[in-house]
Amino acid sequence: MNVRLESIGLTTVVIPQGRLDFGSAAGFQSQLEQVLAGAGSKPAGVIIDCAGLDYVSSAGLRVFLLAARASQRADLAFAICGLKPAVREVFDVSGFSRVIAVFVDRANALAQTGPTA
Amino acid sequence: MKRHTAVPSDAAQLPILTQFLQEFWSAADLPPAETVTFELALEEIFMNVVMHGSPAGRVPRVDVSLALCDGCLTLMIEDDGPSFDPLLLAAPDVTASLEERRVGGLGVYLVRQMMDAVSYRRLGGHNQFSMTKRVREPTP
Repeated sequence: MNVRLESIGLTTVVIPQGRLDFGSAAGFQSQLEQVLAGAGSKPAGVIIDCAGLDYVSSAGLRVFLLAARASQRADLAFAICGLKPAVREVFDVSGFSRVIAVFVDRANALAQTGPTA
Repeated sequence: MKRHTAVPSDAAQLPILTQFLQEFWSAADLPPAETVTFELALEEIFMNVVMHGSPAGRVPRVDVSLALCDGCLTLMIEDDGPSFDPLLLAAPDVTASLEERRVGGLGVYLVRQMMDAVSYRRLGGHNQFSMTKRVREPTP
């Protein structure tokens, strides 16, 4: 799995591509931890744009859960967007889409996660 | 159509099993939309064996088979490790808040929800976990 980062105003967009399974979960988790730590105390948000994510298992869901919790504690806006149907199904069945803000695409997520500049 | 493979109970084998499943999918010309259920089931149940069903000092053997019959696909995962019934794991509370959410048991829960039928039995010193789902309409 590849992960790219983009900055839009004060929001960091994390873009994972490929498969988030048991094998890639630990690496993705440490990348997200670095992003969240770097956000510091500034008014900022984190969006995970999953448009390139093909697959997620419970090992991957755990990483999203930990990141959402860490963001909440740090008072950062946190959102996920662009879920493909296969990933969306796993989010829905697990009930994660009820506790993590999930948006159709990045534009919608950015509009909801506060000022971008 | 049937296929079978066997691997040691080792996390490094997961990509090999996923490839086994994907090759079956192509060979049987199954609809791509249904593949996620089986890829997920394969990972969750296999990793359960690796993490919880492998005693120190011995690596169990895991047999994986796929059988397609009348549009229903059955995935069977069998291992010779200690007796372990994943269906006895407590279901996670999928309505819990963000802070209270637990991931333990979530994998098996997803498999139970997404498959049409799942069953476990202990037979001849082996754990047999079987999962079935209709993946296409039966041929008339």
